Amino acid sequence: MTAVAPASLRKDGEGKRPFERVLVANRGEIAVRIIRACRELGIDTVAVYSDADVDAAHVRLADESVRLGPAPAVESYLRADAIVDAARQTGAEAIHPGYGFLAERAGFARAVEDAGIVFVGPSSATIAALGDKLGARRAAAAAGVAVVPGTLEPAAVDRPDALASVIDDAVGIGFPLLVKAAAGGGGRGMRRVTTPEELPAALAAGSAEATASFGDGTVYLEREILPARHIEVQLIGDRQGTVIALGERDCSLQRRHQKLVEESPAPGLDASERRALHASAITAAVAAHLENAATAEFLFDSNRRFWFLEVNTRLQVEHGVTELVADVDLVREQLFVAAGWPLSERIREAAEVAAEPSRHAIQVRLSAEDPARDFTPAPGWIGRWEMPGGPGVRVDTAVGPGARVPPDYDPLIAKILVVDGDRASAIRRLQRALAETVVTGIQTTLPFHLAIAADSGFGEGGLSIDWVDEQWAELMRPGRAVALDAARIAAIETAAASAVDGPPREPLVAQFASGWARAARSEGRDRWHR
Amino acid sequence: MAPMTGAPRRLRVGVAGASLPGEEPLDIDLLHDPAAIRRIDAGTLVVTGSDGVSRTARVGLPWSAASGTREVEVVVDGWRFELTIEDAARAELRRRATRAPDAAATSGAADIRAIIPGRVAAVRVTAGDVVEAGQTLLVVEAMKMQNELRAIRAGTVERVAVGEGQTIDAGDLLVVVR
Repeated sequence: MTAVAPASLRKDGEGKRPFERVLVANRGEIAVRIIRACRELGIDTVAVYSDADVDAAHVRLADESVRLGPAPAVESYLRADAIVDAARQTGAEAIHPGYGFLAERAGFARAVEDAGIVFVGPSSATIAALGDKLGARRAAAAAGVAVVPGTLEPAAVDRPDALASVIDDAVGIGFPLLVKAAAGGGGRGMRRVTTPEELPAALAAGSAEATASFGDGTVYLEREILPARHIEVQLIGDRQGTVIALGERDCSLQRRHQKLVEESPAPGLDASERRALHASAITAAVAAHLENAATAEFLFDSNRRFWFLEVNTRLQVEHGVTELVADVDLVREQLFVAAGWPLSERIREAAEVAAEPSRHAIQVRLSAEDPARDFTPAPGWIGRWEMPGGPGVRVDTAVGPGARVPPDYDPLIAKILVVDGDRASAIRRLQRALAETVVTGIQTTLPFHLAIAADSGFGEGGLSIDWVDEQWAELMRPGRAVALDAARIAAIETAAASAVDGPPREPLVAQFASGWARAARSEGRDRWHR
Repeated sequence: MAPMTGAPRRLRVGVAGASLPGEEPLDIDLLHDPAAIRRIDAGTLVVTGSDGVSRTARVGLPWSAASGTREVEVVVDGWRFELTIEDAARAELRRRATRAPDAAATSGAADIRAIIPGRVAAVRVTAGDVVEAGQTLLVVEAMKMQNELRAIRAGTVERVAVGEGQTIDAGDLLVVVR
């Protein structure tokens, strides 16, 4: 769907480069993914890195690289000044922020703009306007978009005299409701409230957490919509004023507001529902003068109504499923529009048919987390690393055998995506791809994804956002138990094979250890085990 | 580990580290049923379980751990286990010899160690503090998540071994509660 469609100014590509040199202000798979898009367009790339990433894939793949500082993100990837300096030093004309880190910090975008460098993303003014969730709610509501019922002004937190009016608001919204941070994200600053009595404490705690996380303690109230699905619309706009919606994604499989599985299109919607949803998203985007890529997030309730949540002003982790369905390259388009070019013919045509998609794509986020222990981080050294391939499979990653997964950053280690003609085929392809996947050395979320891909509820589509929190702990038990049984037998078989004449000796070990695996494992034991 | 001579033997296979409920050590006969195991290569076995399903097990390099046990990493269906293997009779003797009095849960010093690598985000106690069971001792940040480490029982903080902002590895001593 398209908001404004002025006459096309050029054909796609035509061998022209939007930029000569682009700095990628990120790490991991997204930095690699951006470098790949640049390389295909003939753009030189500059990587930045911390001391934890000296040998990382994004550094190896870039044409140039600049050290930012020590491993902690605040001393490296979050140093806006150092990144702008690096762009100046290397002559980069544009900075792509990826997602996370500085991607949605209006101050960073402004510093880039002030330095005369192009920020590949929405303008700092748009980021600031939409980053304030309350402001975004007000703007969307004013534009006629149905926002999640709740307040549109900050809740008084520190004024006992105003508490009565906050409680009145809350009773009007209905319980249970959520206290949410205006500067929020990822569930931080959020509190669930079931009775008016709980409200004062929840306001104080939510506000304190928001202050600690974002430096802004502003909170507001929103009705808790459950069951609900999380459905979001991919948006991209150009300087000429065209804003398109490139279909939607269903990201309902979440754990504590962290997405685990994403797919496009959202299962079970008809074309008219899709058109209405895409139109709502475009309305919200146009109200915020959107240029470049963003995502409008909605909740879809059991009465099949969509409620606007917020707009994220960045490329999403899950943008790949949209690319596979629409057969476009979103990073390439971001670079085009950042250079002032209009959106390509190709992406506009894809937007025209986005309400009637002819493919289905699913992504799982493979993370270094332990799904048996409440998804706690499991950093360390990777041993074996076998990723799936074959028809309709895409893997975005920046690690491999022997790589270190540092504890300093996001635990995402690979995105495994599949695409096929319809959802049922895509799920079968996902099952096949995950069965090919092997990671040793660290615990990953692979068991979760294997279970989901085989789950009948997922197969039927339409799972609610609280499904993982409610079901997973029980769902995982039988699968883990049979895996442990097999593991014990494999372990004693190995012990028997290696203990014929006494204690294990090096030659036995050497017979199946390639060089990298042994190096990584001994180093890994020294550093990570117990 | 002592040489494994003679046959058949019973081996005790335990889950190293913090095993989950229901994952206690299990005694298994060494020569249980060769037909249920197919070796693909030295690091890959296919194990057919009692449910008739064949599962591929990726087996790491066994290493000798403390006190004569052997440890090996095995990954099945994405689940990663560090398993300890020990002669069952010997394991039983050792268990009896080292079994601490049940009073251990309420007295003696308790070392609080890091279970994951990360950074100390906050220290909530100092030496000499009297703490309740469940009270937060410190907050460790890893991979964008904050994890609160709590006292497993009431006592007095004897020592705080780390400071705020310090980078820690799994296993590092953090706090001692007596």
